[in-house]
Amino acid sequence: MRDWAARHRWETVLGGILLATIVVNATLSPFFLGFGNFINLFWLSIEKIIVVVAMTFVIINGEIDLSVASVMGFSAAVMASAFAGGDIPFAVAIVLGLLAGAAAGLAQGFLIARVGLPSLVVTLAGLIGFRGAARVLLEDRSVGDFPEWFDRLGQQPLIGSIPLALIIFFSLLAVAWIILERGTFGRKVYVIGNSADVARYSGVGVSSVKLRIFVASGLAAGLAGVLFAARLGSVRGSLGEFFELDIITMVLLGGVSIFGGSGSMLGVALAMFTVLSIRNGLGLANVDGIIQTGVVGLLLIGSVLVPNLLEGIQSRRPAPEP
Amino acid sequence: MSDSVDTVLSPSRSARWMKPDRIKELTLVGIITASVLVFSLLIDNYLSGRFFNRITTSVVIVAILAAAQTLVLITRNIDLSVGSIVGVAAYLTGDFLGANNWAGPLIAVLVAMLIGAVFGSFNGVLVAYGRVPAIIVTLGTLALFRTMLSLYAGGQNITADSLPDWVLELNRVTVVSIGGLDLRLVFLIAILVFVVLQWALARLRSGRRLYAIGSNPEAAKQAGLPEQRLVFWTFVGSGALAGLAGFMFLARIGTISATAGAGLELESVAAAVVGGVSIFGGSGTMVGALLGATLIETLELSLVRVPQVSEFWRDALLGILILAGVLLDFTLHKRLGRRLTAAARTDAGGSPPTTIGARRRAGKGSSDA
Amino acid sequence: MTEVTPILTMSRVSKRFGATQALDDVSLTLYPGEIHAVVGENGAGKSTLIKIMTGIYGADSGSMVVVGEEVSPRNSAEAQLLGIAAMYQEPLIFRDLSVAENIFIGHQDRGRLVRWDAMYQDAAQILERLDLDIDPRMPAVGLTVANQQGVEIAKAISLEVRVLIMDEPTAALSAHEVDRLFQQVRSLRDSGVSVLFISHRLDEVFELADRITVLRDGRHISTRTVAEVTEESLIKEMVGRDPSDFFAWSDRPRGEVVLRVESLTRRGVFEDVSFQVSEGEILGFAGLVGAGRTDVGLALFGVSPADSGSVELDGIPVELESPRDALELGIAYLSEDRRQLGLSLPQSVTSNITLATLPRYTSSIGLLNAPAERQDAGSLAEKLTIRTPSLATPVSQLSGGNQQKTMLAKWLNTNPRVLILDEPTRGIDVGAKTDVHHLIDELARSGIAIIVISSDLPEVLAMSDRVLVMREGRVRGVFDRDEATQERVMTAAVGTV
Repeated sequence: MRDWAARHRWETVLGGILLATIVVNATLSPFFLGFGNFINLFWLSIEKIIVVVAMTFVIINGEIDLSVASVMGFSAAVMASAFAGGDIPFAVAIVLGLLAGAAAGLAQGFLIARVGLPSLVVTLAGLIGFRGAARVLLEDRSVGDFPEWFDRLGQQPLIGSIPLALIIFFSLLAVAWIILERGTFGRKVYVIGNSADVARYSGVGVSSVKLRIFVASGLAAGLAGVLFAARLGSVRGSLGEFFELDIITMVLLGGVSIFGGSGSMLGVALAMFTVLSIRNGLGLANVDGIIQTGVVGLLLIGSVLVPNLLEGIQSRRPAPEP
Repeated sequence: MSDSVDTVLSPSRSARWMKPDRIKELTLVGIITASVLVFSLLIDNYLSGRFFNRITTSVVIVAILAAAQTLVLITRNIDLSVGSIVGVAAYLTGDFLGANNWAGPLIAVLVAMLIGAVFGSFNGVLVAYGRVPAIIVTLGTLALFRTMLSLYAGGQNITADSLPDWVLELNRVTVVSIGGLDLRLVFLIAILVFVVLQWALARLRSGRRLYAIGSNPEAAKQAGLPEQRLVFWTFVGSGALAGLAGFMFLARIGTISATAGAGLELESVAAAVVGGVSIFGGSGTMVGALLGATLIETLELSLVRVPQVSEFWRDALLGILILAGVLLDFTLHKRLGRRLTAAARTDAGGSPPTTIGARRRAGKGSSDA
Repeated sequence: MTEVTPILTMSRVSKRFGATQALDDVSLTLYPGEIHAVVGENGAGKSTLIKIMTGIYGADSGSMVVVGEEVSPRNSAEAQLLGIAAMYQEPLIFRDLSVAENIFIGHQDRGRLVRWDAMYQDAAQILERLDLDIDPRMPAVGLTVANQQGVEIAKAISLEVRVLIMDEPTAALSAHEVDRLFQQVRSLRDSGVSVLFISHRLDEVFELADRITVLRDGRHISTRTVAEVTEESLIKEMVGRDPSDFFAWSDRPRGEVVLRVESLTRRGVFEDVSFQVSEGEILGFAGLVGAGRTDVGLALFGVSPADSGSVELDGIPVELESPRDALELGIAYLSEDRRQLGLSLPQSVTSNITLATLPRYTSSIGLLNAPAERQDAGSLAEKLTIRTPSLATPVSQLSGGNQQKTMLAKWLNTNPRVLILDEPTRGIDVGAKTDVHHLIDELARSGIAIIVISSDLPEVLAMSDRVLVMREGRVRGVFDRDEATQERVMTAAVGTV
């Protein structure tokens, strides 16, 4: 156990923070520890954490995707406007929405992986551009009145008290966890994140891995957009706006290095749970949403600053190896 | 490397070349001219003095923010918190003016810039001395500053009637009028800011050093440049400029809520990148940033007047513009870089044939501060 | 010379990194107006020494005295203030700034304002003094390496340095450019600067240096004037042994031709390269750094494909467009740059060894077969005597020699037909070197066709069945083992006399 903790220092620290949050929350509110509240805690942010899973791959791979929230909006807008067009069955509209997400990821991934543009700018352009595309599709309308089964899937529990979105999220998390830490693909993701050149010199198809990751990120954002539409019951052009901050924060707070190559799904899962618990706790204590966002911003900076400071104290003058 | 190769590659005095920055600036002037021409064909009565006045007044805020962003981008960093600083500065300055009716324009501007500088210094400390990548710091403070404003405002807005009269009139003050073209005060202030900054970047030792840091951080360290101090002051400067933009925002809108200025950070990055400021650091000019902001503003204000295009195209086009800007910068970089790497290629350094510089920068150019 | 006060004295300096004693009680004195060469094999401690002089590392013990005053610079800026500057194989250039700015960027004494005209004039003057035809106004991005180095020397002149350290400055230069560099260095010396010159090319050392210091395994071996040493005596002191001491060649059975390369060309890099390698044969690639040997290796591995020419594997023409192509055909390439291109340092020994063969361990649903990975990695680690706490240890924690063996294990795991080894013993200790040599011999005996690219001439001569010599991108001679003497190979590689 001590050995494990030594090798997973950040995860251990996170576990501690999470435990503290839970204890504080539980004392603040008798409702916090209820099963219903846990379902709620995940459900209210389910769209974000679905994208977090994909973003973990993106950042470990040494890239970043700022466009996810806009792609969510874009996918939902594609679905809604296809539906509003009225000629096609709603299921096809959903598929179109998901495809739109994947296509957004493919386009950006192509520019990053094949052309070689920096992901920071490409996805910044994506952040603005896909939000713009969503607005072009919906203008200032709100499209709703989806089929009843769709709203029910989004708004009511499916099995027992567990809603569909939660089932999707947890299965996605499990699959992603296995792929990242037990799969060949995951191994490549780490190696490329450490050094794309080493990977290339070892015969690893660097650009195809990168491309697939961005497609996955787009698809996850698309899925999240569709689920969000189901939960809200209507779609506007601004759906999901500014979610990228929370999403990236959770990944980085989970101990994934912004420079790529390191981090674990366990850390990210713990970080998700921590952030959601803090938001939930603050919510239970009637703290305003905007303040919760500020706390998340502080956490983001702290998650990089604190290790930096600790490292600085440990070795004033790092001794490089010969 | 044979001698003949060497003579081909080595630029002799007689060889003609043009600074990459000039190329970018001229390209932009060309694009702006071309788009104005196209719009004048599409829109009746397009080339009017009124339209010129509208563009020059409305470009001011984005232009000043583009200047702020340019300072930061040159050092291979990024400042995503400028939009939040605009909001904070606009709100607090409005608050200040409401309570201190005696204060004149000069004091108001100073107050706004001071507020911006204070918030910018927070970013600066974390990036320069805390060694946290700028993208993380400013993504965090984007939220954090907004939260602080929200707490301070407590749901109250700054309203136009709480402000001294001169504030709202400021936007319409015309200094000279030539034909139908008014040169408004706010526009001239922005131009002054650009002249000063362009001069500082070109003539001040510290200004040149910003380029050095962004161009090659490793070499900057070797040369003993005070990297941390300069990066810190760059963020302070960016904050102060965002503060100035905040004051202009107040003067234009009058009514300020806690969400004022949200999203401006993206427009500032867009204007700078479109203006040829490299996200890889080390290159870009204030003239370029101003041109970039002008192009974006011209497109935005013109498109809404084209009958066939809906106003909702704005953001989508902005995204495309940024991409085009980056692609242009990337191609230029690659062409210049190829000459360099072709010459520098050595089987000793183990340099693979791809440009290592470009590869290393390809990941997250601005985050490895 | 002894009555003159030294500019810089390093006394009994030691430095240790983890398990490696990089410098052990080394002393060195530099006088004004001398060119002092420091020679030694890779890992002899040269770069550690100059990094201490320039303040990048602090010494564990010993002292550094600059003109009678004990100093310990904490970074290169402080060293620069003391008058010590260094230039490296790859010049540190600000690509986006003008040439003149590159020269004057570190100056504290030119005021807060940049006076462009004055700066261009001063720069032009210095450049002219160096006989460099560069426009000081142009951005540095288009400069050749030779001109970049010229700019660095101009920078040193403008800073009025007392000690200029040059670390392998000629590595990427053509003969003509080297001549001009040497003229510049001599004129620096004549103006009283002390130049510390580090080079692998002994001919250059003899041409340029006034005194020569030999380092070996972190220890000071000798310092003599150039008149007191010969090439042989230097090599003996550097290597500490004869070529035949470290590897005893014996006849190996040779089979069919495996790889046949015909007029391979990559424009501006190498031209018209032809050779063949057989089963069980070791073909040495000799030549100076920059001769194009690595580039031929990279072309065969598909990293930077050739423009023209043909490659046949077992008599069948093949296309090599990517490392994946090469690996599928059984060509493996061990990079000279272990840290940047060879190993994923934070990853475990196991995952490095299996990195090039991941498909083999991948199940139909894309999962890795960890036990199989561990088993293969384990048996290779045993075969290559890789010393590591465990197979799960990150390779960054291994010594240089064990890292090198791990990299070798990665390529052996691909069961290559052709194995290209680029500087296979660079930067590893003597014990590991011997291990690697025996291993290469064993691999050849198992029927692999091997190409050894090495700048260590005794090593190439000792290992190879035939030696191919390259100079300036062309093959300048292929020698059978019994014809390949140091002199002949060296002559072909250097191209003079």
